[in-house]
This record gives sequence, structure tokens and C-alpha cells, in this order.
Amino acid sequence: MTDLTNSTYAVDVQNLTVGYGSNVLMQNLNFTVNNGEIFVILGGSGCGKSSLLKNLFGLYQPLGGDVLIEGQNITTALGADRQKIMTSFGVMYQQGALFGSMNLLDNVTLFMEEYTELSQAQMDLLARCKLDLVGLLPYESYMPSEISGGMQKRAAIARAMALDPKILFLDEPSAGLDPITSADLDSTILDLSKNLGITFVIVSHELASIYAIADKVIMLDKGAKGIIAEGDPKVLRDTSKDPRVHQFFNRIMSKDAA
Amino acid sequence: MSVADPISSNSVESKPPVVVWTQIDASNAKVALNGVVNVYSLGGIWTQIQASQNAWLQQNTNQTLTFDASRVSFFDGAGVAFLIAIEEAQQKAGGKFELVGLDPRYQPLLKEFDPINNLFPVPAVKPKRSFVVSTGMAAQNLINDTKGLVSFTGQLSADLYWSLRNPGQVRWGDFVNTAVEAGIAALPIVGLVSFLIGVILSFQAAIGMAQFGAVSFVGPLAALGIVREMGPLITAILLAGRSSAAFAAEIGTMTVNSEVDALVSGGLSPMRFLVVPRVLAGILVAPILTLFADIVSVVASMLTMLIYGIPFINFYNGMLAAVDVEDILSGLIKATLFGVVVSAMGCLRGMQTGTGAAAVGISATRAVVSSIVMIVVVDGIFAFISYKTGF
Repeated sequence: MTDLTNSTYAVDVQNLTVGYGSNVLMQNLNFTVNNGEIFVILGGSGCGKSSLLKNLFGLYQPLGGDVLIEGQNITTALGADRQKIMTSFGVMYQQGALFGSMNLLDNVTLFMEEYTELSQAQMDLLARCKLDLVGLLPYESYMPSEISGGMQKRAAIARAMALDPKILFLDEPSAGLDPITSADLDSTILDLSKNLGITFVIVSHELASIYAIADKVIMLDKGAKGIIAEGDPKVLRDTSKDPRVHQFFNRIMSKDAA
Repeated sequence: MSVADPISSNSVESKPPVVVWTQIDASNAKVALNGVVNVYSLGGIWTQIQASQNAWLQQNTNQTLTFDASRVSFFDGAGVAFLIAIEEAQQKAGGKFELVGLDPRYQPLLKEFDPINNLFPVPAVKPKRSFVVSTGMAAQNLINDTKGLVSFTGQLSADLYWSLRNPGQVRWGDFVNTAVEAGIAALPIVGLVSFLIGVILSFQAAIGMAQFGAVSFVGPLAALGIVREMGPLITAILLAGRSSAAFAAEIGTMTVNSEVDALVSGGLSPMRFLVVPRVLAGILVAPILTLFADIVSVVASMLTMLIYGIPFINFYNGMLAAVDVEDILSGLIKATLFGVVVSAMGCLRGMQTGTGAAAVGISATRAVVSSIVMIVVVDGIFAFISYKTGF
């Protein structure tokens, strides 16, 4: 789909330094996410995956470096330019972060109300389409507190897709889900990627899910404060010589590896 | 045609879409769509086409609508919804819908939503409640609320008694933190409000009394009113606004986050763990704050009366004649009861919190309202008792 965008990469990260104040988590990261790709950021707990993600979509200001979303620099953009970039992607937070006082349908239509000129009935239909895509159509009038955690995550994906963004950032979509729900979610992601050409940037450490969906992964390490492996996850599993990467992909316990 | 807001060109650089509605004859019409179709660009077009379609559908039966998408350059989920809406309107009117020329790469998108009827649920009719039913339900709620209040009061009394028997097991750390937050941190606002009340009370009284040449009686009158009524009341209402709401929000958030459940499943009593330290703190700080409010108010009154030419010593002597220790004690005992009521209502509303962020706000509001209602009730009972006993 070359006509979708004229920038080379969906996300282009240049010399990015991530951290909080003097606590530097990641240094001089460089990587690119191609259009239409399912890109997974992985690494052990506490290595800064979620922080990196929040820097990518502009929620936190990086300590250094630049992030280009479809060629637009989100770290320096201000005002209307920034808002324009912000509406070009959708975000699913780890806990779903649905608005507790609204039902699922209203959660999805909220952003449409702000940015489009559609009528209420038209927005409702659009929102039902999104909920149908994630298998939640029968639950449109439920409140977030009345559905399970897995359903909340799927509803959050539906909300992230409200404005048909080109890029979706998902923070641990399959964490805490049972294998069947998790597999369903994976197939939803694959469908959306294939049919809508959406680019996915996903933080995850669920191996089964990573093998099923990822076109490309980067692996972060706390000690190295950067990327220690990059590429196809299955290739990394079978060929990587790095003991940390080998250990992660083959689920070897630390004491056995030592 | 309609040009959507500037965001429409977002990452898809091209012309706004053009839509052409052509009515071929009474039973055949055609929609030709051209350009970028997304959630922004559909803004005006959608409504327009639907209006044309509806007007046309009313003219005849068995009509066929052809949708020509061969010149669409970009199409996404919103475009699919648009197609579905048009198709559904045709189906409902018993007509036919033909889609031609849509790029094959978009075809799988359409299949996702088959059958489309599911996307148009019959709107559920909300049963209207009769007056009798809603009155009954309101009464039921009132009964449940009262039951909750009574059982909470019983439980709290039992646990306060327990805390006297087992002072070692009370969480004194929480008690101190709460007492500092509800007490010392409240000094400035209590001081400010009681100073102003002291000034205003004396001024208002002096204006009236001056007409009878009885300005010298304002001091004793104001002082008596302050120690018996105004001091305890101001303090209690400020405590309700500051601390009762804080208790409800804090315990409410803990309820929402399942922290209260974690206490229960760990075999700990939320009453003893959360409520007792807060109520004890309320019992401690309310009379102290009241005493502080009394002093500040009386000093304010003294300063005000100075303007009316009443020297300190006259004010002081008049006050000694009118106010005795019993009056001060009566005010402080009342303040202690207010302290119990205000902190207990905050905790109760916190424990009753439902789910979600909005529930915490509701609990905090209910805590303040219930606290103030209970303050008035306690004040009334106290006034009745002191009238009967002369205390």
C-alpha cells in the first residue's frame, strides 16, 4: 500500500535516550519500524519497555534523541502539529484504561465526537464495527467494570482504532490472558495488520504470542541499556549466540544458565 | 463537496473525496465515490448520501442502488461502515445493493462484518418506572442505607471498645498520621474561618444592640454563642469538608483497587485496620480544633468590640460573668461527638464505594453531605438534652 503514506518508516527512532531525570534506562537507541509491520519490543520485566513505548508515542519527553512518526518528529512538534501526529496512531494501555463512567460504545465514540463531523448514529455504527472486529459487539452497552480483563483489553484496542489510525501501540496486550483469549487476540492483530494495513508496535514478553505475530523484534536489556538483538524472533531463537537472548527465547532459568 | 477538518489529510496526502449521486430512473440509482474515504472525509458526505438515498427509496419499491468505488484511492474501516450503512438502508427498504469496482485488497475488510444486520441492533426500550415503583425503590434504598448505618455504628462501637481493651493492637502510626493531617494541617483554615465568624458575629450583634445602648452586652453574648455553638459547628463542618471527604476518597480508592478485599482475605478487619485509627484521630482532633476556634473567635470578637469602645478588661469581665466552665465543656463534648460522626461517616461512605473512578467521587460527596446532616442531627439532640437538663 504505497499510496498510504509518503514516509519511508512508520516509526523512526534516532539516538533515543529514555529515562527519568538522572536515571537513564536506555541509551542511544536506533531502530525503524516499517509500514504494515508487526514490530515487537521485548525484554525482561523492569528493563524499560513500557517507558520506551511511552516515549515513542510522545506521552513522555525523551531525555535525548528523536522519534519520527510517519516522518514527523513527535519530540519537537507543538500545538496543532503535535495533535495531528497524535491522531495518526492509537494506543492501548496495559490495563486497558477505559473510561469507567462510559459504556463500551461511548468509549469508542468519544474520540470521533471530538475529531469528526459524523452524526451520532454514524459514529455508533462505526464504533459497532470496531467492537465487532475485536469480538465485543454483544457487549456494547456494558460498563468497563462489568467485563473481564481480557475483554477490557480488546475494548481498549477497539477504542484505539476509533479514528482508523495507521499505527497502533499496544502495551502488553496478552499479559494476564488465558492462552485461548491470547490466541484470539493474536489473530485479531494479524487480521487488522493484513486487512487494514495497520502497523503494530507491541510491547510483550509472551513468547507464544511473539512467535505467532511478530515480523520483527528488538530485545532490550537492562544491563546493556540498549538493544541486544534485532530481527525475526524464530531466527533469533535458533541462531543467536548471545547467552541472554538464548536464555530468553528458550525460557532457561537463570540458575541453569549460570 | 464537504471538506473535513485539516486533520483529514493526516498522513494521506490527497484531494478530498468527491461523491456523485445519480438517479438513473425510478428504480435505479448510482453512487460514485472518488478519492480518499476515511473517518474525517466522510463528515458531510455520509449524511448527504443517506438523505438522497432515503428520499429516493420512498418513491418506489424494488430499487437497485449501484455503488461505484472504482475511483476510490484510499479506503478504511470508516469507509466500510459507510458502505454497510448504505447497504442496510437498501435491505430494509427491500431493495438491492450492488458494489462494483472496489479494489480487491479492501474486500477482506467487508467480509469481517458479515452478516451486517448484527451491527443494527433493535434499540432496547427502557421500561418506564411507575410512580409507585420508584417510590418503593426509594424507600427500599432508605431502609438499606439506614440498616447499613445501624450495623456500621454497632460494629464501630464494638471495635472502639476493643481498641480500649487492646490498645497495643491499634495502628497508632495511622492514628498519628491522620491526626496530623486532619488536625495540625487544618489549623490555618479553622483559624481563618473562626476569626472571620468572630468578627462578623460581633459586628452584626453590635449594630442591633447599639440601638438599645446595649453594646456592652455584645461581648458576653458573642462569647457564649461561640463556645456553645459556633466553635464546635465551624470546626465540625470544616472537618467534614476536609477530612471526611479525604477518608471517603482514600478508603474508596482502596476499595476500588481491591485493597480492602486483600485485608479481609488476609484475615484482618477493615474496621479495626482502617476505621478505628481514623475515628480515634477524629475524637482527638475535633475538641482541640474547637478549643482553638473558640479562642481565635473570642479574640476576634474582643478586637471588634474595641472599635465600639469596649476595652479588653470590660469584655473579659462580661465574658466571665456569662460563660462558665460548663459552657465550654458542653461545647467540647459536642465537638467530640461531631468528631466521631464526621470521621465515621467518611469511613462508612468509603467502604460503600462501588467500582470505577466515578464511584470514589460519589463517595466523597456522600461523605460530606452525610457528615453535615449528621452534625445537624447530633446538634439538635444535644440542644434538646441541654434544654431539658440545663447543662
